[in-house]
This record gives sequence, C-alpha cells and structure tokens, in this order.
Amino acid sequence: MTLFQDTGGDPRAPRARIADVLSWYGAAGDVVLGNSPGFCIRKASLAASLAEIAALPQTERDALYFAGLLHAVGAIGNAAYRKGDALPDRMAKMESWDIPAQGARICAAISALPAETSDMVRWQNECWDGTGFPDQLRWHGIPQPAQLLALAETYVRAADPDEALNAVGLQSGRAFGPEAVRLFTNWFHLNAGELTVQPVPADALRESELPDAILDAAADRIDAHNGVPGRWRRVGDLAVATAELMRVPAPDVRALAIASRLFGAGELRATSVEDEQFDALSRLGIETRARNAVAAASFAADIPSLAAAAAIVRARSEWYDGTGKPSGLRSAQIPTGAAILSTAIAYDRIDRTSRLDEASGTQFDPSIVRAVMEAAKAIA
Amino acid sequence: MIELHERTRRISPSRLHEILLARDCRSLVDPFMGLPTHLNYLKRHGIAVHGGDLLEWFVRVGEGLITNDITILRDSEVAEIVEMLPGRIYSLDMFKAWEGVFFSEEQCVYLGVWQDNVRNLRSDQQTGLAILGLWRAFCYWLQKTQSPDDMQDLPPSELAWSYIRQTEQWVQANMRRNTVRQGDVLATMSAQRADALYLAPPARNSFRSADSRIWMWEAWWQGNPYFTIEHAYRDSLLGARASDPAAYSRAISTILSHADDFPVVIVQTTEQRLSELEPLVRNARSKVETVAPHPYEIYLIATN
Repeated sequence: MTLFQDTGGDPRAPRARIADVLSWYGAAGDVVLGNSPGFCIRKASLAASLAEIAALPQTERDALYFAGLLHAVGAIGNAAYRKGDALPDRMAKMESWDIPAQGARICAAISALPAETSDMVRWQNECWDGTGFPDQLRWHGIPQPAQLLALAETYVRAADPDEALNAVGLQSGRAFGPEAVRLFTNWFHLNAGELTVQPVPADALRESELPDAILDAAADRIDAHNGVPGRWRRVGDLAVATAELMRVPAPDVRALAIASRLFGAGELRATSVEDEQFDALSRLGIETRARNAVAAASFAADIPSLAAAAAIVRARSEWYDGTGKPSGLRSAQIPTGAAILSTAIAYDRIDRTSRLDEASGTQFDPSIVRAVMEAAKAIA
Repeated sequence: MIELHERTRRISPSRLHEILLARDCRSLVDPFMGLPTHLNYLKRHGIAVHGGDLLEWFVRVGEGLITNDITILRDSEVAEIVEMLPGRIYSLDMFKAWEGVFFSEEQCVYLGVWQDNVRNLRSDQQTGLAILGLWRAFCYWLQKTQSPDDMQDLPPSELAWSYIRQTEQWVQANMRRNTVRQGDVLATMSAQRADALYLAPPARNSFRSADSRIWMWEAWWQGNPYFTIEHAYRDSLLGARASDPAAYSRAISTILSHADDFPVVIVQTTEQRLSELEPLVRNARSKVETVAPHPYEIYLIATN
C-alpha cells in the first residue's frame, strides 16, 4: 500500500510530503534528547539565515536547513538513550558522541536529501579547537556549514538571545572559530537577536524515493530504540488487514497505516520499556499509554500529511466504555482507526492470544475485537 | 605576527570506521599518524590501532590516547603542571627566542615552566595527556594573535588547566593491544601486521610549509625554539625524496610494495593529488575502489 497516494485528493507535491515526514523525523530526534518542541525547526532556520549572511550557495543553504532539521535523528537508537539497562555516566557520554555520525548515516540513506546534508550532520558538534566529537576535527578542517549549525544550536539552547550572544562570544577560539563568531554577531545585530522561523525548503528535495520508505525506516529505528523491534510492522499489518476486513474507506486505511508508524514515537522520551510495565488489558497503564499517545500525536498534528494519522494516534488509548484517556471518548466517538489501532496494539502486546475477549465491551469495541481476531487468523 | 595558514589533513575517523567495518577490518596500522585523535576514535570503537610518526610529540600524545587504557591526570597532578612549583629551578628563558615574535614574555615563561613540569611527570601516559592539553592552550594563544579582539583573555594556568582536564574524557580501553612508535613509515609497517593499512602520506615538499602549530610544538617538547621540521624529516623515506616528483613517486611505490601483508590498503588523498597517487595505487594492487565524499577527502581502497 502506498501511504500518501490519493489522500483526499491532496494536491500537495510529493516533495512536500517528504518534507513533512522529515519534519516529523527531526522532531522525534529532539524528543529523545529532551529538546523543546520546535527546536529542530528553529535550529534549521537560524543555520539557514547564518548561511545567507555567509553567502553560501543556495544548495548548501538548503542542505544546511535539512541538517538542522535532522540534527538529532542519530539519537534515536543511540546506546546512551536506548531503552534497557542504563549505562554508566562515562560510557553513556562516550556513546552519545556517536550521535552525529549515526545521524549522518541516516541522512546518507535518505536519497531525497541534498548530498551535503549528511556530513553537515556528522560534523555539527566539532569544536574549532579540536575538542569536539565525533571526529575531533579542528580549525578549518571543520566545514563552515557545520560551524553554523553549532552556532545555531547554542542560540536555540540559550534562555534568551542576549545569553546566546554571550555564550557564543565566550567560545570564540574554542568551540567556534573567530570568523564564525563575527558572522553570528553580524546576524545578531542585523536581526536584533530575533529568529524568524523559515519554512522547510521542500523544493530542494529530490523525488528519488517515496516518503513511505523514509517513514518505514524511521519507525523501524524508533521501535528498536523503544526495545520493541518490528512492532509497528506487526501492528500495522494487523490493523490494516482488520480495516480492510471491515471495509473502512481507503483514505482512512492509509491514515491508519501511517498511524501505526507514528504511535511508537510517543515512547521515545521514556527511559524504560514502558510497554512492558503493565498488562495491555489493565487499567493501571492507562495514564502512561495516554501520555504517550498525546506525545506522539502532538508533534505530528501540525504536519499536514500526518494530521489525520495524528488524530488516530491521539485517541488510541480511549476505552470503548468511555473511561479511557485523554478525552474520555466512548464507542462511536472514538475514530474507527483509533479503535482498530488500540486493539491491534493490545493483541500484539498480549502475545496474540484470545485474551482480547476479556476486554471486549469495556476497553475495546466488540465488533473490532472480532474483526481483529479474524484478520489475525487470515494473516497467520 | 604569525600566519596560521592551515596545512593539516582532514581525517574523519567516523568515515574511516565505516570503511573499515564494511570490509570487516578489525585492526589498522597508520604509519603517518600525526595527532592520533582519529586513532583514538577507532580504538573507542573496538579497532586495534597501531600508529607511527617521526615527530616525538605526536608519539607522546599517542601514549596518552592510544596505548593508555586507564591513566588520567587528577586535579593535584594538573596543578603540578600548570604553575611554577616552589623549590624547583626553572630555565625561564628557554623560549625567550619566541618572545615578541609569537608570544608575550609571560607566555614564554609559562611555556618553559610547563615544559619542565611535563618532563618531570612520572608516567608516559600522563605526559602524553599533558602534552595534548597544553598544545591546545598553545594553539589558543596563537589563534589569539590572529584575532586579539575576538577571543577572551584567559589566565595561562586556567586555560591550561581546562584543556588538560578535558583530555581525561578521551581515555578508554578497547580490550585490544594498541601501539604507537616513533619511526619512519617502513619501520612502523614492518613492526605490526593488521587487517588494514591506512596511508595519508604528506604531500611532496609539504614539510616546507608545515603548520606552525605542529612544528612549534615539537620545538617546545624538544626544548629548542630553533628546531626546524626539516631536521625530523631529512633522513626519512619521503623527506629525502621531497624535491623531485619522480623520486617522491618512487618512495610512495616503495611503501605500497611493502604493504603486501595488509589485506586492505586505504590511501587518503585529495582531488588535487589524486592524479599523482591513483596510478601508483593501481599499479600496486589489482582492485582499487574510490570513495570520494569530498574533493578534499578521497579514499583509494585497495584490495588484492
């Protein structure tokens, strides 16, 4: 199934859909690092603005934007953040040094991105004096765009613009080359320290692959990070088969298929495999599931191609009897896609047994439980 | 004022690691090691690394970063490096020749004090880490001569302290035997077998335009401000043949002809030098693959 084809006659160009998926991927990386919402967009926008002042060619400016957008994707699956046994601090720090290189590999595998993006991500944490990571490059061995990304990171991380200016100045000759600091200072004074968020330059992307492939790879990585490898594929296959069995309209099936790839992102922030803490049919885990559902939906809701799927993800912890969270929706108020998704997730979680019947009529819609069981038999 | 025209190579160990992993290489020899931060990266990722260089300070840093698995410098030990110790007699004019040319009088005094203090450290590993940390402070000073208004004035001991303490983070073990040695390229290659040989040979005549931050630090370590890098390279395989293009090519061919025991040979070069090196590599090995992520970062990967 092609995820983004004919979704309600959406006239948006294929590149815009790729841009949407990349925006979501970048935001997922930020969640792992605990960055504030919109961090990657702000970093990308500032890096692109600095590149304009530096008179970099348009192709490099576009690549730099995407490098800022995807600056943290390497954190998804990084051993320092992955679910499981916590590493000692020193080891976790060393593992975290690999985030840029892992991010570079992810970007290199996305053929739609400008070719320069990968190495900008790789070298975004290098310091002028050679004390950065992962490669400990120094001086002019660090490409200028990578220094601009590092400046943008400092600005976005600072509490206010003046603090950012001060922090950058203090690092002249250490994290940043003096030329880069001068360039940042110029930008700061030209713009009174205020950052204007720029739209994703979708036109710079290549239509060399479908957004589906990027979304699949991201979901694989997220599941591996969450300690549940391959979960979205099992859940997605079952949910789509159930929806088709129930003759759900094709656009809604596509939204459901996308939702099966998105819901795992809600667990990225947690440090343990939350999915295993409570029985899938227990009310005890409802707060956790609802929190994860809202988190996963929150950073997809504003992305046009993913908005419909985000609505499904948000409602996936509602209960049929109206006692679920976050909104307490009941029976028909719950979107069909969400009801199917939550049932399929639970079925996967309880090792594909017939225990679903126990929750039929309370947690799950009885008709959907029957359809899921039937679809599961058909898939098997 | 000194001109900091940079001549150092860009080595991306994370990319080199990707190349090694794709070819199942678990050990590597680098006879043109230079500052071995790239070998430190590979070591951290489980590769057994063996480096060699002609400059002693590179080798000393290698003892801190490559052969050293656990030793760090504690606060009390750093304190014994960055300031003058009571009761010790220092030769405060050791680097007087640099005064007013590269550094202030105070900085020259500190260079002499640091040199003496590091020479008196008790372990090779700590010495290597201290040399690296102090080198970064030294580079900061040189950079500041280029951009005096853009960079902070930091007390010398504070600057040195922060950089030396920072070296601790790079110390780690990979449960493999890792070595560094001071010697010419063929000596390093013959001393150690490995899955891969990594060659980033200096360009012809490059020692004549070596980065001042590199040769001046060897001068510092030798305690001889008049040291020139030609002394170190004059009798080496490449140094002795640096002027004549044909002789330089013969020297590279000699290195490649001694590399038969290495299943994989990775030659890093640039677009500018590719036409000079590629025929030599293709002449030495039957299969040569080119990985060229940038014009200034090209890998010729030769296998049998």
